[in-house]
Amino acid sequence: METKGTNKIAEFIYLFFIYSKLNTKIMLEYKLDRFLLAFAVFFREIISVVVMVLILTRFVHIKGWEMNEMLFLYSFLFLSYSLFIFFFTGIRDFDDMVYNGEFDRFLIRPLGLMFQIISSRIDYCATVGHGAVGIILLLHTAGSAGIEWNARNLLYYITALIGGAIIQASLFMLSSCFSFWAVKTTNLRNLIFFNSRRFAGYPISFYPAVIQKMLIFIVPFAFVSYFPAQFFLRKPDIEMFWSGYLYLTPVVGAAMFALVYAFWRLGLKSYSSSGNSMY
Amino acid sequence: MIFVNISIWRAIYEEEETIGGVQFKMLITYIVLGFLLQSIFAMEEYLIENKVRSGLISSDFLKPISFRFYIFSYNMGTLVFKILMQLFPALIVSVALFGMLPPFSVSSAVYFLVSAMLAYLVLYNLNFIIWMSSFWFYWTFSLVTIKDAAIMIFSGALLPLWFMPQWIMDIIWFTPFDSIYFTPISLYLGQIPADETIMCLVRQIIWIVILFGIGQAMWRSANKKLVVQGG
Repeated sequence: METKGTNKIAEFIYLFFIYSKLNTKIMLEYKLDRFLLAFAVFFREIISVVVMVLILTRFVHIKGWEMNEMLFLYSFLFLSYSLFIFFFTGIRDFDDMVYNGEFDRFLIRPLGLMFQIISSRIDYCATVGHGAVGIILLLHTAGSAGIEWNARNLLYYITALIGGAIIQASLFMLSSCFSFWAVKTTNLRNLIFFNSRRFAGYPISFYPAVIQKMLIFIVPFAFVSYFPAQFFLRKPDIEMFWSGYLYLTPVVGAAMFALVYAFWRLGLKSYSSSGNSMY
Repeated sequence: MIFVNISIWRAIYEEEETIGGVQFKMLITYIVLGFLLQSIFAMEEYLIENKVRSGLISSDFLKPISFRFYIFSYNMGTLVFKILMQLFPALIVSVALFGMLPPFSVSSAVYFLVSAMLAYLVLYNLNFIIWMSSFWFYWTFSLVTIKDAAIMIFSGALLPLWFMPQWIMDIIWFTPFDSIYFTPISLYLGQIPADETIMCLVRQIIWIVILFGIGQAMWRSANKKLVVQGG
């Protein structure tokens, strides 16, 4: 039994590698187009940073936050999204798979469904676009925001990024769960995900209490950017929240993923093909 | 989205009484107006691209109606629908919720309306150039995204251009971008002195003519080079 288990894991890793190779080949088929796409994503995302900088150059700080610190907070959002897209593009595109019937093919294969969904897509353009913005911001602020980069902080940083990526993956999966019933869910996702993401680019203490609660308990974006950043910066507005939140990012990520996965299994039971398989 | 912006500005405003000489209410009005204009100016970006890629454009060419006129009318129809169904309800909500200011004066209200119409035409002609490029590229998602991002920042849709450093303003002056959102909203707020008003409108018209000319040239050569991939 023991050897069979390890074999299986090796097999999964091998398959994942094959999938990645295929995806890379697909991407390289249209080099200029994909390069432009990555650049377009980068440009679109950096605009929001530029707007922030332009607003903040007029003022030294807002509510005790200086520009570097806010950009450091913002970098969490980009890097964790980039990480999420690198591993979980399949979850992002899941409603598309249901819509065009690709999901039907997965159902008849002797492999875990979630594994197939996750490994069947990688969007390098979005990974690079978001990742580049995140890395620029991080390099720019890692030194100047007064953070000591010792082993403990580094470990926290990596855990927080992974936790943040899983939180975002769960949110995406939650919205794509509804495609079992509604087929097309892009609008719902934009409503839940991208609107809350805009909020999370700034410290949540800027917002009215209702929105703060929403970002902590309903769409937990506060754990993607605000609380991890606060762990390093300890701005005075952390007094408003329970200090345990600072350490909860991975826990929230794991709990959400488990919950959403259970919901997803539930939805799977009522899945019926959209009937427009094109393959 | 709009709530985010307003919350940020409110947080900033709590720190300081006035921002660069601009009253908070004016800023809010600017942001709300920018948001409303953006939402009604949104156009169907991939209409031409889809037709080119699917080959359906060949049947459009056969129809006894100018293709460009058809595209324009399509967008005009969308615009009218959006004004009726989205703008009026949103306007009422914004006035009630955010305390949006009325136009600075009667004349600035008139100038705003004229300028907003010209702004739509500037944006339409700019978009048309990007749409036409699908005859050469087939996929225009990245171009459209870059164009949208450029408009977001340089046209003053998100952020009043008076927050820009001077050297960026000098560059923007040579582009059509500020004609799209900044000019009409500034006129609404009475930020442009009376003697410069006509100049601003003329600038918008000049940009419409230039962009239309480029679109025209692209249309001509696209007609010659159209390749239909199957159909």
